[in-house]
Amino acid sequence: MTLPTVDFLVVSALLFAIGAVGVMVRKNPLIMFMAIELMWNAVNLSLVAFARQFQAISGHIFVFVVVVAAAAEVAIGLIIIVLVFRHRDQADVDTLNAMKG
Amino acid sequence: MLTLYLPIVIYFTISLLVCFGIMGASRVIGRPKRQQSVAKLQPYESGIVPEVQLGPKFSIKFYLVAMLFLIFDVEAVSFYPWAVLMRQLRLYGLAEMGLFILVLGIGYAYVWKRGGFQWDR
Amino acid sequence: MANLIAILAGVLCLFMGVVVISAKNPMHAVIALVANFVGLGVLFLLLHAEFLAVIEVIVYAGAVMVLFLFVVALLMAGTRAPQESRGKNLPGQVPLALAVTGVFAALVVFALAVRTVLVAPPPSTTDFGSITNFGRALFTTYLLPFELTALVLLAAVIGVVFLARER
Repeated sequence: MTLPTVDFLVVSALLFAIGAVGVMVRKNPLIMFMAIELMWNAVNLSLVAFARQFQAISGHIFVFVVVVAAAAEVAIGLIIIVLVFRHRDQADVDTLNAMKG
Repeated sequence: MLTLYLPIVIYFTISLLVCFGIMGASRVIGRPKRQQSVAKLQPYESGIVPEVQLGPKFSIKFYLVAMLFLIFDVEAVSFYPWAVLMRQLRLYGLAEMGLFILVLGIGYAYVWKRGGFQWDR
Repeated sequence: MANLIAILAGVLCLFMGVVVISAKNPMHAVIALVANFVGLGVLFLLLHAEFLAVIEVIVYAGAVMVLFLFVVALLMAGTRAPQESRGKNLPGQVPLALAVTGVFAALVVFALAVRTVLVAPPPSTTDFGSITNFGRALFTTYLLPFELTALVLLAAVIGVVFLARER
C-alpha cells in the first residue's frame, strides 16, 4: 500500500510553521538562518509529495534547483552574517541599528 | 526497494554507536571535571590571573574552504545522474556537461586568480 | 513497515525542528538540523525520490551543515556567550499569533480528518524518481534549469570570494 500524500503535507506544514516561528522568535542570526533552512526543506518535502501524487518528475527537478539555490544562498548569507557579527560581542539581530532613521 | 537501503541504515547505526561510544568512554575513563584543578584549566599567563576569557582565533580562511567545498560539492552531485546516463546521452550529454563545467570553470579561475586556494597570503 | 518508518522519520523531523529553534547553543541547533535532514531524507526515500534523498544527505546534512559548523565556531569561539536580548512585544502580537496558530491548527486537523477521502496516490512505476529517470528529465526536458544552476553557483562563488577578501 502507498502512504497517503496528506500525511507528508501535514509534516511539511508543521515543519514550515516551526521554521517560521524560529525566524520570528529567535534573535540569534545563525538560528534564524537554520530556521530558514527548515522552511526550505518543508517546501521541498511538499514538492516531493506532490510529485509522487501526480507522478510528475518535474517536481523533483524543482527540488534539485531549490537545493542548489539554497546552497548558494547559505554560502552568501553566512559570509554576510560573519562579516557583520565578527566584531560584535552579541550575536543578536536587534543590535543591528546602523541604518535606523 | 527499501530493503536495498538496509546496508546504509546499518552503516549509520554503527557510525552513531562509534560516536556515542567514544564520548561515553571518555566520560567513564577520564576524570570528571570537578576533580580537575581550576588552575589547570586556565590559560597560561605567566602567573597573572587572566582577566578576560579570550576565545581561540578562528581564521575566516576556514570558512572560505568550507564554502568552496559546498559549491563544488553541489557541482559534483549533478555529475552522478550524468554519469549514469553518459552512454545514452552520447555527444549531446557531453556538450551540455561541457557547458556546465565551462560556466563553473569561470568561477574556478576567478577563485584561483584571487588567491582563494592559497592558504598563507 | 513503511508506515512505521514514515511515522518515525516524521516525528524525528518535527522533534529535531523544535530542538533547532529552541536550542540555547547554536552548536546543538546545528546537530539537530543534521538529524532533521537525515529524517527528511528517509521521507524522500519513502516518496520514491531516491536521488533527492541522496542529495539531501550529501548536500544538506553534509556540506551545508559543515559550513554552519564553521560559522558557529567562527562567531561563537571561546566562552563569549551568545546572548539574546529580551525585547518587548509588538502591540497586539500575542493575540495575533494565537489567531494565526488557531487557523493553522484547524487546517492541519481538517487535512488529517479528510485524509481518507482524498485521492490515493497512484502506485509508482518501478523507476519513478530513480536516478536514471531523474537524470533523463534533467538532461533533456529540463536542460535550461540545469545550466542555469551553474550560473547560480558561479554567482555564489564570485560573491563569496569577493566578500571574504582580507581588507
